[in-house]
Amino acid sequence: MNKMMTSKNKNQLITKQDLRRVFWRSFQMEFSWNYERQMNLAYVYAMIPVLKKLYTKKEDLAKALKRHLVFFNTTPHIVTLLLGITTAMEEKNATEKDFDDTSIDTIKTSLMGPIAGIGDSFFWGTLRLIATGIGTSLAINGNALGPILFILIFNIPHILFRYILTGIGYKLGTGFLDKIQQSGMMQTLTYGASIIGLMVVGAMTASMIEIEIPILITTGDSQTSVQNIINDIMPCLLPLTTFGIVFWLLKKQAKPLTIIAGMAIFGILCSYFGIL
Amino acid sequence: MLEAILLGVVAFIAQSEYALGTSLLSRPIVTGFLTGLVLGDVQSGVTMGAYLELAFIGSFSVGASIPPDVVTGGVLGTAFAITAGAGEETALLLGLPIATLTLILKNIYLGIFIPLLSHKADQYAEQGNANGVARMHLISGFGLSLMLALIVTFSFSVGSNTVKALLEQIPEFIKHGLTVATGIIPALGFAMLAKLIINNKVAPYFFLGFVIMAYLKIPVTGVAIFGAIIAVIMVSLTKPQPVVQSQGELNEQDDDF
Repeated sequence: MNKMMTSKNKNQLITKQDLRRVFWRSFQMEFSWNYERQMNLAYVYAMIPVLKKLYTKKEDLAKALKRHLVFFNTTPHIVTLLLGITTAMEEKNATEKDFDDTSIDTIKTSLMGPIAGIGDSFFWGTLRLIATGIGTSLAINGNALGPILFILIFNIPHILFRYILTGIGYKLGTGFLDKIQQSGMMQTLTYGASIIGLMVVGAMTASMIEIEIPILITTGDSQTSVQNIINDIMPCLLPLTTFGIVFWLLKKQAKPLTIIAGMAIFGILCSYFGIL
Repeated sequence: MLEAILLGVVAFIAQSEYALGTSLLSRPIVTGFLTGLVLGDVQSGVTMGAYLELAFIGSFSVGASIPPDVVTGGVLGTAFAITAGAGEETALLLGLPIATLTLILKNIYLGIFIPLLSHKADQYAEQGNANGVARMHLISGFGLSLMLALIVTFSFSVGSNTVKALLEQIPEFIKHGLTVATGIIPALGFAMLAKLIINNKVAPYFFLGFVIMAYLKIPVTGVAIFGAIIAVIMVSLTKPQPVVQSQGELNEQDDDF
């Protein structure tokens, strides 16, 4: 990772070793995956060496840790691109007083979707299928070379990408941000990025929350499900309602844990009465 | 008993895929091979692994959906078939239901247990305790590997019939209810994220993204591209000052999670 250090900056605190640590820690990106905030813990985990180095004051470190504990999800194999970018942004935030730290959230939120779009189709859709094709064709005859080739074909390109993108991300982050700050465009960028971010969150609300009512209604000869009627009103109305209720509860200072427990009880009750 | 423990180790290694860069170690083609090694029949293990791999080919996690658990399905399916001296179809016949049933336990772990640790991590973050946050991450990960390892060791030592009978005892409505709950839990993550970046000026874009997805069903990348274009247009049309004003109000609300 020699090339990544080209941009000379008097405020540069992040070294090659720091980036290498982020790279190694990024391997655990799906280790603590969960339904609620998905890769939140793993993202913080990967950032911790950097954050500890940048923020020596307890309250600054606390703010940074909380910042990266929000919902996050992307293709794990190339998450280092975004880790590199946020490392550069955190460095800026630590060294420059008037840096707007909410821009870190918005950049993460607006980029995770596009990165996942490209990454999922390449790693899951293409590379994995090539590896499976070659691997199983040998393994099906009992040849132990099958599983070994399977692992190698997938992981050699994967690790190369993961490594190279760490440096590219960091460079992108520093160069990009320098330019933006010089022209005083940070606010504009935050505004633009929050538009993209919110649209992505809105889209994920429609596509990732699953809730359907399977009850059937018979009127005369025709039979239709409640879900069909709802879909005629508006598709994904129930996910939107769910989102709305949760959002409202959060505004009312409800504890996230209470909300999760409530959801489990709600699910079991609705299932018992056959509503959901 | 030694075999049961070693198979647990295989499951542990397989689940460690997620600590090793999502490197596909948990796939049946790999676990079949390792199970064969443990039981002294590499050739059968590899062959069954290949069949299971093809059966589970659509079962990998993208986005928020978690597929049937290939670790326990792959290891136990292969192990039961080898010890019974049966063929690949037995491995499949046992592997698929085992994978589906383990998913229930896994859903509880991923939907309730890790979020609990995640909130503990929020508290550590509040105190600026980075090591505490890191510990929550590691416990989450190793806990799941350990859980799957124990399921494999336990199931292999009691035998397939006992396991099936035991799992059939859980009432269907509870299994289904937990599936329903895991379908709506992402709403919490999205709501927390939206709360972080939303303000009156940009709120309509949430609904725009939602409506595009609800009616057109395009990939999220497409929505992000729409968003980028709209952002460019809006930025060139307006002077955005209110973004900063609303941050103070938002930050104070954020303190509680």
